[in-house]
Amino acid sequence: MRKRLTATTLSVLVLVAIVGAVALAPWISPHQSSEQSLSERLAAPSSAHWLGTDHLGRDILSRLLDGGSFSLSVAALATVLTCIVGVGIGILSARRRGWIDELLTRTNDVLLALPEMVVALFIVAALGTGFWPLLLALTVTGWTPFARLARSLTYDVSARGFVDAARVVGCSPRFIIFRHILPHLAGPVLGQATLRFGHLLISVGALSYLGLGVQPPQSDWGSMLAAAQPYADRAPLGILAPGIVIFTVALCVTVIGQRAAHMSAVPLLAPSAEQRTQP
Amino acid sequence: MLHFAAKRTTTLVIAVVVASFAVFLVPYLTPGDPVRKIIRSRVAGEVIDDSSVRQLSQSLGLDDPLLVQYIRWLRELISGNMGLSFGSRTPVADQVISAMGVTLSLVTAALVLAVVVSLPLGVLSGLRPGSLTDRAVTTVTQALIAVPEYWAAPLLVLVLAVKLTLLPTAGWTDPTSVVLPALTLALRPIAFFTSAVRTGVLDAAAAAHIQAARARGLSARQTVMRHVLPNSLVPVSTLLAVWFAGLLGGSVIVEVIFAIPGMGKLLFDAVVNSDIPLAQGGVVVVVALAVAVTTLADFIHRFLTKTVGGPVA
Repeated sequence: MRKRLTATTLSVLVLVAIVGAVALAPWISPHQSSEQSLSERLAAPSSAHWLGTDHLGRDILSRLLDGGSFSLSVAALATVLTCIVGVGIGILSARRRGWIDELLTRTNDVLLALPEMVVALFIVAALGTGFWPLLLALTVTGWTPFARLARSLTYDVSARGFVDAARVVGCSPRFIIFRHILPHLAGPVLGQATLRFGHLLISVGALSYLGLGVQPPQSDWGSMLAAAQPYADRAPLGILAPGIVIFTVALCVTVIGQRAAHMSAVPLLAPSAEQRTQP
Repeated sequence: MLHFAAKRTTTLVIAVVVASFAVFLVPYLTPGDPVRKIIRSRVAGEVIDDSSVRQLSQSLGLDDPLLVQYIRWLRELISGNMGLSFGSRTPVADQVISAMGVTLSLVTAALVLAVVVSLPLGVLSGLRPGSLTDRAVTTVTQALIAVPEYWAAPLLVLVLAVKLTLLPTAGWTDPTSVVLPALTLALRPIAFFTSAVRTGVLDAAAAAHIQAARARGLSARQTVMRHVLPNSLVPVSTLLAVWFAGLLGGSVIVEVIFAIPGMGKLLFDAVVNSDIPLAQGGVVVVVALAVAVTTLADFIHRFLTKTVGGPVA
């Protein structure tokens, strides 16, 4: 137990450090991220350029700090958006049941079967590249895990005595949802959201890597990796550095997410009547 | 079971219909004159002057309601006519079929690799839970989930192809060129398969028939081979189908990085070059196949949980 706790604490610290550094980029970045210096192309790490320079002589550290804001903000926004949409749909289907539940669950199944990357490519093809199409592409398929989770938890909680009690004393459905159901969902949903953030961060990077995310001169971690690839054998830091950052952030949120899901799973362990009848 | 089958099949059909309708609408949603785009995908020669455009538009039925056009388009598609690619001016169907073959072999190679790696790892860690081996295997495989393919691929190329020159850097020419892309694609499945095998072994090891096997004198090795391993394969078989569907669409990045002429590369090129008919054909085929395999996975899962009894992770 102690060991897991330290891994989680370490993840939180690393994550805070990376996000903090990205947020403070305009003030702490050693160089202008777009500042080119062709005489210093593909330079090795030095005191002036801690992580060396890329193929246009731009400081890799500064570009990492600057590029993080796009990757992290799209992934974070997509996580929040998919979370809200998914939890809303999940609660709606579990509370209304009947044909609404059937319809929403089928839609979920359908979207779950569609390959995420193909859907994203399709949306980018139809709407063009950039921030908003990217966000939409990630949201369209991304809400499904949240809806599944929220639906099954809401079914569970709704079968508990206190929900019936609340209804009997005349609480409105809205009150029941916000006061009795949402608090029970918060833990697992937060755990899921953390895990999804890691996944979405990798997806954002993938689309940017393919040139379908940010447009130059703006950079992000995925497009940095793509640009550095042809020069990998001369300046391996160009692909190592952005990759390590994406990997580290994804790993940290996975550790934190699993911990959160694990911790919050405890109070819901008692099987409800609903759970016993549902296969 | 019958109810389940009917429900699943309906979902499958709806998924394909909805996806194909969205795909059908692409010429209308993208900038530019849809009529000219559709004519270009159906007629081999260049058509420029307005009168012939009008004439062709009429003979192709482009003035009909969208729904009528959709049904006509779908019928053509099912009979194998996906139009002409804007880029190469050759039938889309031919390109899609050859690309699908490439992707299917790549995905199969990746999954075989993943199973070969994760079976021993999962058994090893499942048999001694909490041991150093178990912790090492679990930590490393879980970390694999966080590795982006577009990072793993250049690193593998750099080390194995450029520095050690063991394997080709890219392309799809000789049998060795499948190794690096398959390895890249296998990383994430390895993480999930290993964890599934481990859970399966843990569950099996606690089961009564394993205890009985040990009690009647089977060696530890025999018990594992005959009783534990087959049981732990149940969750893997479901996962295998799920991942097969997932990798069909998930191979885009890997195919682009390694310049493999598969479906992922085809779709990517189609999007980048605004080759609408090619993108349409590719998306419909990938989606149909992925949905079909996912449905199959549901059936396998259902069947196994029914016969084996007890939940499958």
